[in-house]
Amino acid sequence: MTPTVLVIAETSGAAVAGPTQEAFGVARSLAGADGSVVAVTIGGPSAARSLALLGPKEIWVADVPPESITSGAVAILAAQAAEESRAEIALVGGTSFGRDLTGRLAVRWGAAAATGVTEVAIVRPGALRVRRPVFGGRATETRALTGPRAVIALRPHAFPEAPATGGAPPIHVLDPSLLSASKGGARRRSLAPAETGSGPSLADAAIVVAGGRGMRAAENFRLIEELARSLGAAVGASRAVTDAGWRPSSLQVGQTGRTVSPQLYIAVGISGAIQHLVGMVSSRTIVAINTDPGAPIFKVADYGIVGDALAIVPALTREIRRVRGLSET
Amino acid sequence: MEIVVLIKPVPESETRLRASPDGRRLDSEGVRFVLAGYDESAVEQALLLKENVPGSKVHAISFGPARCGEALRAAIALGADAATWIEAPPEGSDDPILAARALASALSSIPYDLLLGGKHAGDDEEGIVVGAVAELLGIPSFGSVTDVRPAGPSGLAFQRPTEAGIESWETSLPCAIGLQQAWNDPRTAKLPNILRSRKAPIAKVDWPTVAKALGSESSPRSLSEEFRLPAPRSGAKMIEFQTPEEAAEKLVRLLREEAKVFP
Ligand SMILES: Cc1cc2nc3c(=O)[nH]c(=O)nc-3n(C[C@H](O)[C@H](O)[C@H](O)COP(=O)(O)OP(=O)(O)OC[C@H]3O[C@@H](n4cnc5c(N)ncnc54)[C@H](O)[C@@H]3O)c2cc1C
Ligand SMILES: Nc1ncnc2c1ncn2[C@@H]1O[C@H](COP(=O)(O)O)[C@@H](O)[C@H]1O
Repeated sequence: MTPTVLVIAETSGAAVAGPTQEAFGVARSLAGADGSVVAVTIGGPSAARSLALLGPKEIWVADVPPESITSGAVAILAAQAAEESRAEIALVGGTSFGRDLTGRLAVRWGAAAATGVTEVAIVRPGALRVRRPVFGGRATETRALTGPRAVIALRPHAFPEAPATGGAPPIHVLDPSLLSASKGGARRRSLAPAETGSGPSLADAAIVVAGGRGMRAAENFRLIEELARSLGAAVGASRAVTDAGWRPSSLQVGQTGRTVSPQLYIAVGISGAIQHLVGMVSSRTIVAINTDPGAPIFKVADYGIVGDALAIVPALTREIRRVRGLSET
Repeated sequence: MEIVVLIKPVPESETRLRASPDGRRLDSEGVRFVLAGYDESAVEQALLLKENVPGSKVHAISFGPARCGEALRAAIALGADAATWIEAPPEGSDDPILAARALASALSSIPYDLLLGGKHAGDDEEGIVVGAVAELLGIPSFGSVTDVRPAGPSGLAFQRPTEAGIESWETSLPCAIGLQQAWNDPRTAKLPNILRSRKAPIAKVDWPTVAKALGSESSPRSLSEEFRLPAPRSGAKMIEFQTPEEAAEKLVRLLREEAKVFP
């Protein structure tokens, strides 16, 4: 069996998004020794050069101004690359744009589709089996995808990033006039960069440190931020915190906030209401720090500390700095 | 503005999930299916736009088994003007692409300027249907959207939080939007409206009609094979300590050596 697997790569300048690097790893294992991995991206020559380092056999690129990059436009270009490369499987990284694209591309290219996938295997030609968490991580389902083509969006952080292998594949430039047929006048007016200053964004982060009402006051939240900095983590919050205006609602994790699934989630002074849990239970390892040994958060946690966050968190920050050899700043 | 809201009934959030006897899907025996999650926000957003753009109408539509009626009535009780149930085949109503094809086919005889759905459905969390419907209809689509406002004579402005930051967009109509959050938290229905909604008419499109319109595309290509609940977490390993320093030291050691989440 020699499947061709197309990675729909997200690039920004010369940077290749982490979820795209994860998709390359999956693509290599699906293609196996006999199949091939190819890629398509919206970007300029520097994007293509960076992508080449991940070892695809061929690359398709299209240069589209950022304010016109919609899922509709990318579906047209990606479907064209899929046709030209004769791909059977298209892999999309688990970014918000990737999930948006999946349904459109599947329809356009005549494929079955699944998102949030944590396992994928070829059963036989034209039949894939995928596994994915559902109900906010409270269950998983296995689905059979049949037919000659499938579009699969991976769950972020579910797979390791593929190492660079190097290469100088042929680069095909897609004709932007392909887009002239697409209808609708959507324009991006502005982008307010994520207010991280330094750390990773909540959706991307491999580690999230989240604080709740148990932090007692807005000014104590700085302890959460210092712990996050020592870990290179993103900061999250419960709704009690964002409702109180201690931190902006963009940090809220849960049913009405963001869903995250990092490698490590540290919940500090968070009781563990179901609306909070649905946004984070699928995290790989969960730590809870809470004064109340009966707090529901301990039911989903892997490690628990019953104690005062205002004392534990600074000690934890110091310990992490110590083991990482970071200076006190 | 003609606003169509796409609704997928999902189990109430307190439902104890169980696998069906054949292990292939959620056991729906005794489960209450409701209008919930992001679809509730989509209905809220539709009603806010209706209140702000004179002459607007909200039409709720749902593809699935008979239980769709309940969720559609909930939307009517909240203020939707009309509702349509599109009947699904016994097998495959959970294939998001088939759902999208059925919905798009029904939309050939329902007027729309704006399609609103959830960012993803509260059960399967695919986030596929809204974009797929839009592609079938040839209109733009956006997922994970917050805060949709009327802009200019016939356009919309909205925000989209992404990994890179918060994007602000303007779009002409028609378009499709998968909603993450409306301006307000979803409202609750008033009792008299709930009672009235019980008698409200719900238009029905039966599956044979849909199947005929879809032709060779009427068979599902994504089928559930197994539904599994995670082994219950054994509960947290509680760290015993005398001082905060000791707690910190023990936790960091466990995270490095046992959980291996960092070197
Ligand atoms: C429709 C709806 C949607 C919602 N959506 C969300 C959502 O998206 N996200 C969300 O988070 N919530 C959401 N909620 C709210 C949710 O129900 C809870 O109210 C909220 O999560 C509570 O936040 P909390 O855990 O910070 O506060 P609390 O529940 O008040 O818990 C505070 C915890 O801190 C502990 N504590 C106190 N002092 C200390 C200390 N010194 N050190 C350590 N621990 C301490 C306490 O023991 C307690 O467990 C939603 C609710 C509804 C109805
Ligand atoms: N069977 C359906 N009937 C109507 N709308 C649906 C259906 N399935 C999904 N949707 C809509 O599409 C959104 C995304 O669903 P999904 O792609 O399944 O995560 C939902 O929040 C609904 O608004």
